[in-house]
Amino acid sequence: MFENTKCECGHQNPPDTTLCESCGKPLGEEALSDRPLEMRYDGVARRSQKKNPNLIDRVWNFFSSVKVAVVLIVITLIGATFGTIYPQENTFINFDPSYYEENYGLPGKIYYMLGLSHTYESWWFITLLVMIGASLVICSLDRVLPLYRALSKQQVRKHIQFLTRQRVTYAADLDGDDEEWTRKLGELLGKKRYRVTAEKTALLAEKNRFSRWGPYINHIGLIVFLLAVLARAIPGWQMDQYVGVREGEAVPIPETHYYVKNLDFEVEYYADDELPDRLKGTLRPKRFVTKAELYVCEANCGSTALEPVLRKVKEHDILVNDPLEYKGLKLYQFDYDTTPRLKAIRPVLTDLKSGETYGPFELSILEPEPEYEVGPYRLKLITRFLDFTVNASGEPANLSNQPNAPAFLFLIQGPDLPAEGETFFYFPIPTDRERFGQDLINGEMAERFDIRVTDMANVEFTGDVSYLNVRVDRALPYVFVGAFISLIGLVMGFYWQHRRVWLRIDDGRLTLGAHTNKNWYGLRSEVAAVLRAAGLEADPKSLDNGGRNK
Amino acid sequence: MKGRERKITQIVILIGILLLGGYAVGTTLFASDGDKPKIGGRPPAFENVADIEGKLHSLDDYKGKPVIINFWGTFCPPCVAEMPAIERQYQKYKDQGLVVLAINLSEDDITVRDFLKRFDLSYTILRDKNRMIERRYALRSYPTTFFIGRDGRIMDIDVGGMADEEIEQYILRLLET
Repeated sequence: MFENTKCECGHQNPPDTTLCESCGKPLGEEALSDRPLEMRYDGVARRSQKKNPNLIDRVWNFFSSVKVAVVLIVITLIGATFGTIYPQENTFINFDPSYYEENYGLPGKIYYMLGLSHTYESWWFITLLVMIGASLVICSLDRVLPLYRALSKQQVRKHIQFLTRQRVTYAADLDGDDEEWTRKLGELLGKKRYRVTAEKTALLAEKNRFSRWGPYINHIGLIVFLLAVLARAIPGWQMDQYVGVREGEAVPIPETHYYVKNLDFEVEYYADDELPDRLKGTLRPKRFVTKAELYVCEANCGSTALEPVLRKVKEHDILVNDPLEYKGLKLYQFDYDTTPRLKAIRPVLTDLKSGETYGPFELSILEPEPEYEVGPYRLKLITRFLDFTVNASGEPANLSNQPNAPAFLFLIQGPDLPAEGETFFYFPIPTDRERFGQDLINGEMAERFDIRVTDMANVEFTGDVSYLNVRVDRALPYVFVGAFISLIGLVMGFYWQHRRVWLRIDDGRLTLGAHTNKNWYGLRSEVAAVLRAAGLEADPKSLDNGGRNK
Repeated sequence: MKGRERKITQIVILIGILLLGGYAVGTTLFASDGDKPKIGGRPPAFENVADIEGKLHSLDDYKGKPVIINFWGTFCPPCVAEMPAIERQYQKYKDQGLVVLAINLSEDDITVRDFLKRFDLSYTILRDKNRMIERRYALRSYPTTFFIGRDGRIMDIDVGGMADEEIEQYILRLLET
């Protein structure tokens, strides 16, 4: 049925309007009570409430509710705390699923099975973020449009009830000319930087309306922020991985067409006199730097056999927090490994019977020659192990493909030896020689020959390994833009308050009403000051008409 | 806002949220394992990989054939233990078009050469470098063997050493494709 929503001033209001859009007269339920007016959105109908909301309306109303938004935020907060219980998957360089069960037992196992090891990338967490985003958009739209309409078309002369039921109100009888009083009060308000719109015997003084848009600008900023965070899912927009580069080597950066070369790695440690007592004698790095070069691979990039064609694009000394940057790619100094590994040695061959020493000869650990001539003897390389061990079947084998415990099996031929030669096992590293019992293995030959490095100058180590953290984050600038917009909105909303003062003078009777969105104390103070300056008796407390908060 | 306009705006916004949100949630549901080779999926390609004689091979060269890709290293005892079994099964089925590519885990020349001297292997040994292929195949442990059908899709993935019977069963499945 059609409700009669026409106000006594003649204006036709949409249904559910609580204060007449034109004169401000309380309508409907609002008219029945005596309490201070509900001034949200100036009483304008916020939503058209249909009798039978369809699906779209229902979804819209759901997201438009602030209660729902608060609930969503609380659930997201609780969900986010789950991700802080155990370290997340993405904090590991080489993630191993058994980590949780191994370190935390059954709770750890359940944690991993529930997917909580990647809480912030899980579908339900992202869904919550999307819902908060939806809520941000819909809540804001649903409120900003009616507010804008209400504030844009404001009437100057308001209904008496509108004025007397404001939370700040004043009435007095005046002597003198109505128009003169109006003009005078308008001037005084103008001095307080109000923008005054006056009719002959009524005026509206308003200031800082822009502050009302603050929360909405804030929400726009948050939406941009959220979209930027979600944009990280776009392929190529985010990368966070690690590469280890040995001095002198160039390694490919996975998932890119780049290669990084470690020209030189240096680490400086604190001297003892720079360290506090309890740390003296420890090896504390003071500064470590990788002189690095970045190359772009132009051909043969994925090949393991063909040499890649590289073109240098950048060079930089990478220090902690001083990365090499190139087109959004950043290489940070992360870690290093200076564990010395043998690269080459120059041992001598000693004939124990005659006491003669032959050599030294150049023996490369990684790329040894098949044969060496040392003095009158010939050393044929039968085989070489990089990481010697004896396996379960008692046979010599490699423990890994890293040169941690090199061993050489030679066939020695020459004078006073059988034609087919004699085998000789050589372990360059003395501790390995002990460990594996080189002399025992070589039997009689151990009394005949010895191969040994006599001078540390004849030992060459491989270069240090530098670990770099490779990062790409193309969404970051937009995150900052969103945060900045948010901040502007907050500043707008918090540092200024929207104040409005209406007054009308009817045959010497002044009726005044005032409203603000925050800081009523300040408003009352200011209005009282204006009234006093006009010569009227008023103090802030007397203006107070009650209401929800002070 | 007039009813009609309002309705359109609501629909547009809700659709926008659905698309963006759907994309965001979709990437979390589907992307995480996207790069790892899975059963039913395609094996990651590799090109111009050298064998022990220096000849170059690409995975594409074997299109349409049943292929076994076995990752091995001299430092991996179960890899070494299963090699004779692989050789035996290869001999049995190579006339039916079976191809075996044994990709070594980035070890150096001498290690691989010396090691192979101890075995009599007739199948193709390929050399990975800098763990490139290994990474593409997202290997977690060794040995890992991929069985690829004639249709070019991964039929089985076996992690750990295999015995003759196991290998034979996998091969028979491959030959059915």
